[in-house]
Amino acid sequence: MEFGFTTAAYVVAAVLFILALGGLSGQESAKRAVWYGIVGMALAVAATLVGPGSGYWLLSIILIAGGGVIGYQLATRVQMTQMPELVAAMHSLVGLAAVFVGFIAHIELGRVMAMDDSAKKALEGFAALLAKKDSVEIAILRVELFLGVFIGAVTFTGSVIAYGKLAGKVDTSAKKLPGGHILNAGAAALSVLCLIWYFNTGGVFPLILMTAAALFIGYHLIMGIGGADMPVVVSMLNSYSGWAAAAIGFSLGNDLLIVVGALVGSSGAILSYIMCKAMNRSFISVILGGFGGPAGEQMAVEGEQVAIDADGVATALDEADSVIIIPGYGMAVAQAQQNVAELTRRLRAKGKEVRFAIHPVAGRLPGHMNVLLAEAKVPYDIVLEMDEINDDFPDTDVAIVIGSNDIVNPAAQDDPNSPIAGMPVLECWKAKQVFVSKRGQGTGYSGIENPLFFKENTRMFYGDAKKSLEDLLTRIT
Amino acid sequence: MKIGTPKEVMKGEARVAMTPDSARQLQKLGYDCIIESGAGDAAGYSDETYKEAGVEVVKTAAALWKAADVVAKVRPPTEAEIKKSREGQLLISFFYPAQNEKLMQQAADKGASVIAMDMVPRISRAQKMDALSSMANIAGYRAVIEAGNNFGRFFTGQVTAAGKVPPAKVLVVGAGVAGLAAIGTSTSLGAITYAFDVRPEVAEQVESMGAEFVFLDFEEEQQDGAATGGYASVSSPEFAAAQLAKFRELAPEMDIVITTALIPNREAPELWTKDMVESMKPGSVIVDLAAEKGGNCKMTVMDEKIVTDNGVTIIGYTDFPSRMATQSSNLYATNIRHMMTDLTPEKDGQVVHNMEDDVIRGATIAHEKAVTFPPPPPKVQAIAAKPKEKVKELTPEEKKQQELDAFKAQTKQQVTLLAVGGALVLGAGLVAPASFMQHFIVFVLAVFVGFQVIWGVAHSLHTPLMAITNAISSIIILGALMQIGSGSYLVILLAALSVFMAGVNIFGGFLVTRRMLAMFQKS
Repeated sequence: MEFGFTTAAYVVAAVLFILALGGLSGQESAKRAVWYGIVGMALAVAATLVGPGSGYWLLSIILIAGGGVIGYQLATRVQMTQMPELVAAMHSLVGLAAVFVGFIAHIELGRVMAMDDSAKKALEGFAALLAKKDSVEIAILRVELFLGVFIGAVTFTGSVIAYGKLAGKVDTSAKKLPGGHILNAGAAALSVLCLIWYFNTGGVFPLILMTAAALFIGYHLIMGIGGADMPVVVSMLNSYSGWAAAAIGFSLGNDLLIVVGALVGSSGAILSYIMCKAMNRSFISVILGGFGGPAGEQMAVEGEQVAIDADGVATALDEADSVIIIPGYGMAVAQAQQNVAELTRRLRAKGKEVRFAIHPVAGRLPGHMNVLLAEAKVPYDIVLEMDEINDDFPDTDVAIVIGSNDIVNPAAQDDPNSPIAGMPVLECWKAKQVFVSKRGQGTGYSGIENPLFFKENTRMFYGDAKKSLEDLLTRIT
Repeated sequence: MKIGTPKEVMKGEARVAMTPDSARQLQKLGYDCIIESGAGDAAGYSDETYKEAGVEVVKTAAALWKAADVVAKVRPPTEAEIKKSREGQLLISFFYPAQNEKLMQQAADKGASVIAMDMVPRISRAQKMDALSSMANIAGYRAVIEAGNNFGRFFTGQVTAAGKVPPAKVLVVGAGVAGLAAIGTSTSLGAITYAFDVRPEVAEQVESMGAEFVFLDFEEEQQDGAATGGYASVSSPEFAAAQLAKFRELAPEMDIVITTALIPNREAPELWTKDMVESMKPGSVIVDLAAEKGGNCKMTVMDEKIVTDNGVTIIGYTDFPSRMATQSSNLYATNIRHMMTDLTPEKDGQVVHNMEDDVIRGATIAHEKAVTFPPPPPKVQAIAAKPKEKVKELTPEEKKQQELDAFKAQTKQQVTLLAVGGALVLGAGLVAPASFMQHFIVFVLAVFVGFQVIWGVAHSLHTPLMAITNAISSIIILGALMQIGSGSYLVILLAALSVFMAGVNIFGGFLVTRRMLAMFQKS
């Protein structure tokens, strides 16, 4: 079919993709937006299949269908609490695909370059596209595909490690090999050397060497980042997978790949930025991993943690008019969202105002808590962002903290020496009473003592969040 | 050592400085307690209840003064009582040293140490022994009750079958401890309560008690209450005039006026003048809690209730706490007990008169044959009320200027960014071939569109956003599809693998996004 038709289809697909992302500004329009995305993708694939350069139709369709079956299985079986793992795993596929496509481009380039002019003219498909390029274009092509492979490889191993950490298969604490960032810097320097080498020779060896180095960087970089920084990591990998696609798009001369890659890349970058801002940390410090040592003597925490049982919480909830629930990763781990939702329903049935306060970095994925609560059928209009609800705590009777720690740590505001000083936090301690559902007396991910637990109006509701809430539900009708 | 409490000599004084409860606590500190027979009768504590608490009851005051090492009483000692004291004895009571200088000198000459409960400094640590506050609290409550007793109407407004009753309007002047207690009592009885104080910082406390604070239209730098130990100080003549004008305006409306304005060691300021009394409605009641110091109203007669010619009742009782003797004895005895706890650091029944201690030093007015009044200012600042930093009101011009500056800074930033970006693109254009530049422009525009679009995405939809971007980033399938048809088997294999993986991603990503979005429901 005509080349022009393919291009036209690409334009439509690109517009549809932009609409798909833009539609996510509201819950209702998002439901429509996802269809734009699906149609756009179908159009793009169909146009490519019929367009110039492709072959083995049947094989392609079978493979897509096969992949689709697996994708369908994954998507329908995944638990909402496992969402972060799924997203990370999918990023790794994009990364690996980018590496493969880059290598193919390299192989093809080598084959085409070796041909004489007459042979070149006989070529068709992708190879024909390569054959038309002059020497400057070929040099640029090399840089492009080199970059695509590099970013793809980093994304691949990085996502695999992120998946492992999120699924609990790899130790979540920040670990580095001896040498730390010097190793990363070394690998990066090696990659730059390989780029120059490859640029000049076009040999396959520097490409493979660079791929190995990039795979190592992805592995080591993410190993060095702790569990609580995962929202940033996942969105960063999301961004990388986009840039990889864009780089490949350049080397293949495919505008749709470039457009979509750039869209995804910038989306991931913005998400990372939002997450970092919510933790009051610079992107660099997150990537370099772990929390730095405390800047000085941290304020000593005075007072003691006072425990409370389900009866006490039930009584307080019975008397309260307004309740704010602050869920965190602990709720996801304990799978307590259904019980939380049930509690919300019962309290709302009694005419109490129940709302949720969501910190931007609650959970292990941007917006993780929203999805979990939505799954448990908590209406989204009572789930509010930090900025929307922070001023309401002084007028609130009861704040319930379920499995969050650092995001409700008053030390961020009170103690300039705290490692999380300056991080915006939910000011739940301003509520008349605070209940904290927590497994034990340990500190949070960052290892910082939380003065909230020692405050006079705070009561600790120890135990597994799910069991505690079940207990509580038997007391509230 | 022995702590003894004599019967109060002053006529009408019903309080007692030791209760059976406080005696038990004092014994825990290692003291023996003795009491004069009949000392607690008026407060509702018989000799028997004291005996049960392990207190020795002695027949006469003389015997008690002789036996006790520490004498705790309520009212300032009389000259006769001072004569009974001896060297080394410790006397604890109200004393009002500024008015009783002669008495103080006598006590010092005798060699007795005197701790004046009214001189306990107002710092957080000493609140538990602040007898003035605990007595003032009772006085404030009782003042409202006493006013109600003499006021012929309800406090609260009612609409009944027999007609409408307007609510009483109560003005409380001076929002100290007594004032706040009066405000609380008055509002809880249902009256519309107004309150005034020269310290504007107490407006918040007043409003928290449910009363309305009367503000003056007067601009003057108010002295910070914290500097004078939390008490009011003398105000300027202009301020006093503005204050009186306001009261004059309020007087005809008010049914009950309770004045509690006292300045430490001074005559009470005149706040409710004769003409204000005359402008009040018949049947109105004034309770002057400052009567002992001359009264905030000059028509007040100390210790008496009078009715003016226009039918306004003025109550000048000074014994409000004594009128609730059981309650006030309990509180006062507890204050004394706390004072003894501070004086007995070892809990061994031995008084350690530590003149380095801010609280003990401040309250001691005679020690080791010398008058130690007035005390040096306390080392700890009273009531840590930091002056509020005033946020400067911006004038419209300044605001405009600020907005302009912000706009300029933003423009500068954007222009710089654009210039740098533009220069880079141009630089790239100089070396790169046209085919590359075409794609590059597409790329830059796409990044731009991406940034614009993504900022609008709702926070709660960030997970679906990641899932959908994940799905569409498998657009890389196009690359694989384009390549699959050309070249060697290795190429086909790699391309096939890529197509397969991207396929997983496309379906998985979109389906999971749909699943998530379907869950978001409105209530």
